[in-house]
Amino acid sequence: MPVLTDDAAGRVDTRPAPGENPPQRRAWWTSRRRDQLAGLLFVTPQLVGTALFVLLPLGLVVWYSLHEWNVLADTFDFVGTDNYRKLVDDPNLPSVLRSTAYFSVGLVVLNLGLALLLAVLLNQKLRGTVVFRTLFFSPVVVSLVAWTIVWGFLLQDNGGVNGVAGMVGADGPNWLRGEWTAMLSVIVVQVVKNVGLNMVLFLAALQGVPAELYEAARVEGASRWTQFRRITVPLISPTILLTSIITVAGALQVFAQIAVLTQGGPGTSTTVLVYYLYQQAFQFHQFGYGSTLSVLLFAIVLTLTVVQWRMRRRWVFHEQ
Amino acid sequence: MNSRLPLRARVALYGVICLLAVPFVFPTWWMITSSFKPVADIFAFPPSLFPDDLSFSAYRRVFELQPFARQYFNSAYIAAVVTVGTLAVSALAGYAFARIRFRGQQFLFLVVLVGLLIPSEVTIVPLFQLFNSVGLVDTHWPLILVPMLGAPSVLATFIMRQFFITLPAELEEAARVDGLGRLATFWRIALPLARPALGAVAIFTFLHSWNLYLEPIVFLSSPEKFTLPQALTQFVDAYGGPMWDVQLSAASMTALPVLVVFVLAQRQFIEGLAHTGLKG
Amino acid sequence: MKTRLTAVVALTALLGLSACGGGDSGGSDGPVSLRMTTWSANEAHLKLFDEIAAEYRATHPDVTAITFDPILFESYTTTLTTQIAGGNPPDLAWVLENAAPDFVSSGALVPLDSTLKGTDGYNFDELTPAATKLWQRDGKLYGYPFSTSPFGIFVNTDLVKAAGAKSPAELIAAGTWNWDNAIATASTVASKTGKAGLVVRDFDYKGWDNLSTVWTGWGAQAWSADGKTCGFDAPEMVEAMTFLHDAIFTAKALPGPGTAADFFAGEAGMTITQISRASLLEKQTFGWDLVPLPAGPKGDYSVIGQGGMGVLKKGKHADAAADFLAYLTNPTNSAKLAQFFPPPRTPLLTAETLAKTNPLLKPEQLQQVVIDGIANGVVKPSHSGQAELSQAVRAALDPLWKADADVKGVLDGVCSAINPLLGK
Repeated sequence: MPVLTDDAAGRVDTRPAPGENPPQRRAWWTSRRRDQLAGLLFVTPQLVGTALFVLLPLGLVVWYSLHEWNVLADTFDFVGTDNYRKLVDDPNLPSVLRSTAYFSVGLVVLNLGLALLLAVLLNQKLRGTVVFRTLFFSPVVVSLVAWTIVWGFLLQDNGGVNGVAGMVGADGPNWLRGEWTAMLSVIVVQVVKNVGLNMVLFLAALQGVPAELYEAARVEGASRWTQFRRITVPLISPTILLTSIITVAGALQVFAQIAVLTQGGPGTSTTVLVYYLYQQAFQFHQFGYGSTLSVLLFAIVLTLTVVQWRMRRRWVFHEQ
Repeated sequence: MNSRLPLRARVALYGVICLLAVPFVFPTWWMITSSFKPVADIFAFPPSLFPDDLSFSAYRRVFELQPFARQYFNSAYIAAVVTVGTLAVSALAGYAFARIRFRGQQFLFLVVLVGLLIPSEVTIVPLFQLFNSVGLVDTHWPLILVPMLGAPSVLATFIMRQFFITLPAELEEAARVDGLGRLATFWRIALPLARPALGAVAIFTFLHSWNLYLEPIVFLSSPEKFTLPQALTQFVDAYGGPMWDVQLSAASMTALPVLVVFVLAQRQFIEGLAHTGLKG
Repeated sequence: MKTRLTAVVALTALLGLSACGGGDSGGSDGPVSLRMTTWSANEAHLKLFDEIAAEYRATHPDVTAITFDPILFESYTTTLTTQIAGGNPPDLAWVLENAAPDFVSSGALVPLDSTLKGTDGYNFDELTPAATKLWQRDGKLYGYPFSTSPFGIFVNTDLVKAAGAKSPAELIAAGTWNWDNAIATASTVASKTGKAGLVVRDFDYKGWDNLSTVWTGWGAQAWSADGKTCGFDAPEMVEAMTFLHDAIFTAKALPGPGTAADFFAGEAGMTITQISRASLLEKQTFGWDLVPLPAGPKGDYSVIGQGGMGVLKKGKHADAAADFLAYLTNPTNSAKLAQFFPPPRTPLLTAETLAKTNPLLKPEQLQQVVIDGIANGVVKPSHSGQAELSQAVRAALDPLWKADADVKGVLDGVCSAINPLLGK
């Protein structure tokens, strides 16, 4: 198996090699070889798990996608690329992909923006931040059923959200019944539920920014915004990369709340790809075609991730 | 982040935070208070903010109807094992991917990252076939092994890598001067510094295992092996309709430990670097 | 790299094939353990099932265990499908009415006639045709409809009285319990009390199949009996839907889209639902009544929802499972099950028998709603490929739920959306 060594292209190690050997060791047992061994040993458990529980199932999904598999009728017939041709001709696919794009972009932007805002606010030296952190985190632990029931209430035509809107003189829409507002509602409900997770990551990262840097900046008269842009953002950029990759990947995998709140409607306006594939495989019993949609979903997420990963050297501080 | 803010800014800040908190807190509040209400009041509209009188009967019935204490224990021990296991696996892998140079590093990391990209609905059928073929269906093994080594641990590894990569290069130099090997450097120097990241990983992992829903439903079929999210679905009346008061009581009890884990683990974010005396 | 790739492909192929090829069915010797998936985790249900299973095992020593495996209603079909796909199918399974055509026509279930008829004292002829119709194909019975539950209207008599509207009981006594008057009452309740008038439970502008409890009164149907022709653009359906649309948007008798109201929390004057929901009224503080569905332009009618039990062909012990099913549903045990599930056997369908097990309901309510309902009931719409059809209808009906909708145009759109699916 060829080994890719693209880190040679990326960065040049100017540091003295860590863990240099005492001179009496034999010459071939260099620090390089030792690192090679140590690195591989350190990642072995993870690699074994990936091979068994990720790559093998993924291979099987690809294999299923070459079959017409109806679970109930117990048919499992090899059909070659028929399912992929069906995919290209699927009249629902353009609208599904469009919904997926809107949903993902909206979710990622809102989630990352809000998470960063909350983390910065709650990283101030204020009394009660522990309480507030816990409050903002609490939706993460609320049962999904309770969560959707409450938001179902709040988003009703005569519900809490429109009640508040009425107080400031606005006439709120019927949130879950309009095409755009349904999409927006699903995004906001999803973001509020899970933004606490990204907030935690940003909080952890903010702790790593040395206070001396801010003091120095203040001495030079930099505004708070400049400090945020020039110091905070670059120093936590590895975490921004992390959160954007997991949020993009996560956005493409959300469907439980869509299933409960809108069932993909009104019309097909909130039928995103993963919901569509769930319908095909588990509700319509078309596992073969469902697997084909899985392969498509995987290809999309993989492409987006590789793009983000490749672009990291441009803007992520520690990766240059 | 900064020194103390002036009073006016602090008041404004509290105002903004409190306002933002409303949509976050309300559903949690509703879940907990509703668990004390009689069934008929739960769906009253508009919902009342306080139960008229506290009724603990639903909490008692949670334990009468299901081996709930046993199921609580199942969830707790599975989540604990998975959290400890994941911390070990991901800290090792994350450290290697961030700070050790070895051939194939980039490629292997991208391979591992694949695990992050697949929804569990996609791999559940093949995984079921896998565990069924080795006779581990209706045991806790799939719920321990897959999160610890498979896709869910990838997130943890990624978090650890992104954290370790920010540590200053002088670390390894200092370790080398002290004559430490890779493992000792990792254990004695890198790991203590990684407390904020380990806290985050602990929260993510515990929460993920604790809330796992599809997998237990698919893999487990004996009630004494059930985990909590699965047990929640079992509180139904004689006609299959949910017993809402009992479900919400059980859900409130289910949420509590995760909040406790959060409160404990988030302290790591504050104390993380401050106590090591190392400031980059 | 190449060899590795080949190895992976070979391995996956091996796993895929072994998982899908291992569907041997039929009789087996030696110890047998049976597993039945249900969507009820209710303690009382499971206790009864366990009792019956214990009695069965006393006379069948080769059966070492019978377990009942409750799965959440919402994820029932998903989990069942995953278990079948993963090579671990249950021996027996409950099947929902909307999945019935798929299970019956796909060949996933074993025909039960010979086993049931061959069991002593089974009295196969007692099963009412109205109940078994959905579970038959080519004259063979593939599922036993253990639960046949009619739809009726629950009335909050306090709310109706407070609004000064004519109560359904008065209308029935006067012989004028029809849809026009029902909507008039609901409309008065809504305008006078500020609560909802009439709620079609579980519809919520998504679960459209529940509307069959209304349109059947117009003689409309979602599709023809053979399932090949779309019924949404038929004149009766247009008339029924126009009536419903007016009731929602003009008379405001039904809560509009995006507005929920729970009858059992006292927030609606009336609700259409299955009579099995009566249990929710056990500790209720308001006065209530249960009445049959009002007459439509085509006269009296009733609608039923069903659940069936079947034996999976891919299960390891299909013969033993069928034998147990025959025991579980014999006349004696059917009578026991009747306390939870309205049975399909005619001798059990008397007000006296049902009253013993349904203490909340009065004998005349049981006679009017349950017994007459089961005898004449039309089953909710179902079709093979139901899930896909249901999804398509839901999406195509959405434009109807606006005040200015073109009813005929929307319904024509429903037909053009589902015609390709009906033709399959």
